[in-house]
Amino acid sequence: MRQFKISRILIERGAENDSLAKRILRRLPNIPVENVEPRERAPGEDIEGMDKMSLRIIHFRGEFLKPCPGTRRYMCCGYQILNVGTNCPMECSYCFLQSYVNQPSLRIFTNLEDKLNVIGEIIDASPDRIFRIGTGEFTDSLSLDYLTGWSDFLLPFFSHRKNCILELKTKTSSIKSLIESRYRKGIIIAWSLNTRRIIAKEERRTASLRSRVLAARQCQEAGFVLGFHFDPLVHYPGWEEDYEEIVQLLERYIDPEPIIWISLGSLRYMPDLKWTIKGRFSGTDIFDGEFVRGLDGKFRYFKPIRVEMYAKLSERLKKWYDDLGVYLCMESDDIWGQSLGWSPGNSANLATYLDGRVRKLVGH
Amino acid sequence: MMEKKLLGSTLSDVAISDIDLRPGPFSMSFGFDLEPLKASIGRFGVLNSPYLLKGPDRKFIVVAGYRRLLAARELGWPDTACQIVPDTFPPFEALLLNLNDNLTHRQLNTIEKAMVLKKLTRYLKGEEIIKNFMSILGIPANRQTLEVFLGLEELEETIRVSLAAERLSLRVAGLMTGIGRDDRLRINDLFTTIKWSFNQQWEAAQMLIEIASREGRSIKELIDEKEIMEVLGNDRMNNPQKVKSVVKILKARRLPSLLEAEKLFKRGLARVSLPLGVRIIPPPFFEGIDYKLEIVFRKGQELREKLAVLSHLSGLEMVTDFWRGMEPR
Repeated sequence: MRQFKISRILIERGAENDSLAKRILRRLPNIPVENVEPRERAPGEDIEGMDKMSLRIIHFRGEFLKPCPGTRRYMCCGYQILNVGTNCPMECSYCFLQSYVNQPSLRIFTNLEDKLNVIGEIIDASPDRIFRIGTGEFTDSLSLDYLTGWSDFLLPFFSHRKNCILELKTKTSSIKSLIESRYRKGIIIAWSLNTRRIIAKEERRTASLRSRVLAARQCQEAGFVLGFHFDPLVHYPGWEEDYEEIVQLLERYIDPEPIIWISLGSLRYMPDLKWTIKGRFSGTDIFDGEFVRGLDGKFRYFKPIRVEMYAKLSERLKKWYDDLGVYLCMESDDIWGQSLGWSPGNSANLATYLDGRVRKLVGH
Repeated sequence: MMEKKLLGSTLSDVAISDIDLRPGPFSMSFGFDLEPLKASIGRFGVLNSPYLLKGPDRKFIVVAGYRRLLAARELGWPDTACQIVPDTFPPFEALLLNLNDNLTHRQLNTIEKAMVLKKLTRYLKGEEIIKNFMSILGIPANRQTLEVFLGLEELEETIRVSLAAERLSLRVAGLMTGIGRDDRLRINDLFTTIKWSFNQQWEAAQMLIEIASREGRSIKELIDEKEIMEVLGNDRMNNPQKVKSVVKILKARRLPSLLEAEKLFKRGLARVSLPLGVRIIPPPFFEGIDYKLEIVFRKGQELREKLAVLSHLSGLEMVTDFWRGMEPR
């Protein structure tokens, strides 16, 4: 299991007595600790470098369970985000958190465990609704699990509920704690996948493609339901062959039948993020493609390019297995129709479609 | 001799030859025209005395009043009255003195602001500069902008002159620090030999950098290509036409699929022969699905006639597919 270098711990006032904070401190006994005020920037905690070797322990005062922010005028799947922390120790050049969160350091919300009862009440109050919940939107679900022990308490908590699933989304191969746990029901382990070229150039400190797929196989063999996310798809000369290689790897190692879903999403970014990224990753060429301003202000590949990528990849995935729950992330009705040959038509129907996948694959 | 209490300075006549008139550690002057100042000093004298500090080589270092002293020298004055600050006067205080002196009577240009910020980094951390000085200089107070300003010193003199004269956009200059010398000089040349708006410069600079990256060529090579050179050398075009043409050439290279779609859309529309004064406007970049119809008319009867023509126009039902290469039969 990969452990990332942490050079200091910043404890915000009010977080000292959180159970998760105590656990992290126990697991990092020799790391210098500094006490800081909430929202106070510590010396050296700079936004440009993101200061990913500082672990900031925070008693979070916001809501832990929130709907995915989605994006205006494109279809959104109705996902719920369990806000366990923000930022992650890996360095993906295209990461939207660089402008969306705009705060440095690895930020862990250590009162999560104490607030689970509130989340439980929300879920239990709507027994007919299926909650698709994930921790991998604002951080990587597994990269800091060796410190936080998230899986130790999140798996039993969600596994016992009949109307929700917890998706742990990752670019790591850190699955030891998952395999050792005895909880499977309602837990989805999902990998974000990209080509070897993109991983090497743009997804620094992440696990290799092969490691991710092999970790997925181990999880599948251990009884977990899997998900995959081809997001962001990046268009470059030779993209088709490179994405083909990923599907071939999946074919070789993964049983397609119990896959709950595979999402496809193309590279997109807010205008300001481009210059943040170019400043932090001078060698990146991910902006070389043909991007135009989308309906929500984000830049996306020109429509025919997106349609071509989605259509070819979904067709290829269909050849592997024709019931993979392929869906598009943040796309419009016409793109759906042109790429996949069908469209849910609106966000509510997309949510219903994915809820159906949960019922079918998880049995809720 | 008169002593200024707060600064502890003393007024004294100093020979111009005893003053080091190279831009010193406190200087924040760049790209200025000395003539108006010379004319004023020639007529009225130096109204505010420059401030000097004794240097290690016994020559005086200019704390404030650099341009006044240059003007006096050019006017052939042998000496002038100056305030001499004590030898113990802290350099940081000397820098602040000059900054305050400048800010009270003139606007600093971009390069001068960069000089101030760079000099401040000798004494202060970035955070302190952002918090206490950037707003005073009229600059957005953030780290990114500070980095841009601090990078300006590395740029060539010609580029800095363009910035000081506001012929080159600061945002573009920020991009220039990340590209090679020949490329940035060529960009500066392109943007200053004909007049571009700062937005046009920004758009073109981004496209140049990205085309160069995509095609594995230098920016200089791109600009020097025949197509762009022909536009720049075309005597029958005025400046705005030249700028528009260069942007169009770059756009065609940067977004070839979009340009092709726009061409196909125009060609399709041309074939359906819309009535005069009728326009169909596609969604920006063909990203949305809502098209607009614009009808210009002066009388209701004219509107009715145009609507009647439109309702019978064949091929109109395919209008939203023109850009995909589908054409009216």
